[in-house]
Amino acid sequence: MSATQSRAAILDTLRKGLAAAPFFADAPPARPASISVGPDAWELLAGVLGPLEVRLRLARTPAEAAVHVADIARERQAATYTRWDAALNALNLPGGFDAALSSLERLEPGCCQNLARADLGFVLAHAALLESGSLAVVAAPGQHRSASLLPPASVVLVPRNALLPDVSHLPALLNRHRLPAGALPACLNLITGPSSTADIELVLVRGVHGPGTLDVIGLDWDV
Amino acid sequence: MMMELTTRHFRQQSASACRDSNLRAVLDHATRYFMGKRGAALEAFAGRDEHFARARSARLNALSRLPDLLEELERNATAAGVKVHWAADAAEARAIITGIAKAANVRVIVKGKSMVTEEIELNPALEAAGADVWETDLGEFIVQLAGEPPSHIIAPAIHKSRAEVAELFAEKLNLHGQSIPELTLLAREALREKFLCADMGITGANMAVAETGSVILVENEGNIRMSTTCPPVHVALMSLEKVAATMQDAADILRVLPRSATGQKMSSYVSVLTGPRKEGETDGAREMHLVILDNGRSEVLADPVLREALACFRCGACLNSCPVYQTIGGHAYGSVYSGPIGTLLSSLLLPQDLTRDLPFGCTLCGACARTCPLGINHPKLMLALRQRVANGRANPVSSAHSLLARHPLAYRLAVGVARTLDPNLHLLPRLPGMPGLSEFVDSRRPPELKKPFAARRRKTKREQKQ
Repeated sequence: MSATQSRAAILDTLRKGLAAAPFFADAPPARPASISVGPDAWELLAGVLGPLEVRLRLARTPAEAAVHVADIARERQAATYTRWDAALNALNLPGGFDAALSSLERLEPGCCQNLARADLGFVLAHAALLESGSLAVVAAPGQHRSASLLPPASVVLVPRNALLPDVSHLPALLNRHRLPAGALPACLNLITGPSSTADIELVLVRGVHGPGTLDVIGLDWDV
Repeated sequence: MMMELTTRHFRQQSASACRDSNLRAVLDHATRYFMGKRGAALEAFAGRDEHFARARSARLNALSRLPDLLEELERNATAAGVKVHWAADAAEARAIITGIAKAANVRVIVKGKSMVTEEIELNPALEAAGADVWETDLGEFIVQLAGEPPSHIIAPAIHKSRAEVAELFAEKLNLHGQSIPELTLLAREALREKFLCADMGITGANMAVAETGSVILVENEGNIRMSTTCPPVHVALMSLEKVAATMQDAADILRVLPRSATGQKMSSYVSVLTGPRKEGETDGAREMHLVILDNGRSEVLADPVLREALACFRCGACLNSCPVYQTIGGHAYGSVYSGPIGTLLSSLLLPQDLTRDLPFGCTLCGACARTCPLGINHPKLMLALRQRVANGRANPVSSAHSLLARHPLAYRLAVGVARTLDPNLHLLPRLPGMPGLSEFVDSRRPPELKKPFAARRRKTKREQKQ
């Protein structure tokens, strides 16, 4: 069959099937109330990240955030890093974002091969879901997907106004990031802990293809 | 080299699996592990029943509007820059994907775990077209190296021990490691090289959202993100029932799927992909294809009972709860899909003469239906399949047995005769002119017929007096 014929045949069979045996789905119950994002939101986030072996470091000021960035780079023994561009510049860390990483080599984003030797990757979360500890990152120019994927250690900075209750906010989150012409972003990732597998004898191992470690810096101000 | 497993030989394969004590130990450990994780996660899941009902509603709503939603998906995905293809069967899907690979001059392909690519036997077709195909999910990579099919929806290499994996890596890759973290690191390094030079990434699709044209992929390892981020071409193959009407429905499903599959609140990575990379982006596929596969599913929608099987989102919980799967494992089913949902899907998608025995490999205990977060009633569907296999005609031997069972006097008389003439039921299956009797008796393994209780009591008393 040609592609057009297959399409028509499939849709025709489906329509005939539904006509022969009509199908009615019951209306769903109301969605249970979401947890509220209150003053204890950072504690809730730390609590849900803990079992995923993810440490949350809270920064009250841009200067504290810069200290956390430098600490993480030292602890992970990183020599190279890649990072998102304008989104992280806008945080106004003292001396610029790279000042905290002055002894490291910054790799410019490009194809994945360019970033194969990056030790650390820095990105900004567009949302952090308190129920699951998921961090939403939206790809765009200057916000490369590989920054949170290729390096063995990943760092996600989470602004206070990115804290959301749960995944039921996904549609609104996507809508907020529509492009000027109305198109959705090409890629949104929810990242929940480090890369992991239990495919050999069900023993959990972190860092099979993506980062083996994930650090979160909470920015306790609205960005 | 293992013998070729097929649904046609389900009985023999099951009998052989039952005799494999290593397999039994592995299955026991694995199914308990998954059920334990899942149970703990669901215990702590506030509003669980409402969330389950919402996920079920999202799936059934999609099925009830399937043709309209598929057209809407096509429109919106196309508007987002995705090339949408329709494949009536496995051969068409293979031709479409190998065609894309040839047109893009593809040499190296990296694949994310996808049952539906196994269903259409995609890898041999791509290899025949000259491509080098790498399964990148660790479990799939292991079974690919071993030349075996996956044995579990969630953990494809559940049947392999670390020693076997170490041996396999040494033999096939000349890479040497012993501990599980070491072996995982070796796989990371070997496959990282492939991701960086791959020309094409192939994945399945956990869902596609009609309202936005997005493809949603759920995973833990990051290999699916790698397969959709590094290579210039991404092909997602989706069986047509996996549509969600809205992003809100998809979110309701994401609330339940990881918890039911692995006990996680959310899988490590969820990717929502809406078209190829936008202008100015430096990574992500430049070209994205969505192949919508039928392969027998559209016919199932007309069956008011059996179509419920199409609601499944492949969490695998029914496998782990099933006493038959716990005993025989995935390979014995002889199909890509195993366990209760696998029995249903294989029976619905494969020719009936190949799958006659599958719906009888079920005790009707109902553990699967109690476990399924979407409320699929597997045993009810299993009985409908049995009726279909019997084609409305009862097996004469079963009818005779049923008649005896309903008349106690006749039953006692028949057992009395059998006890006298053939206490071990060795001769009964060989009676001439009774087709199906041998199979009936064999499949039930009745115990040796004992003397009646009263007779044994009299004998004991006599012995005591002496």
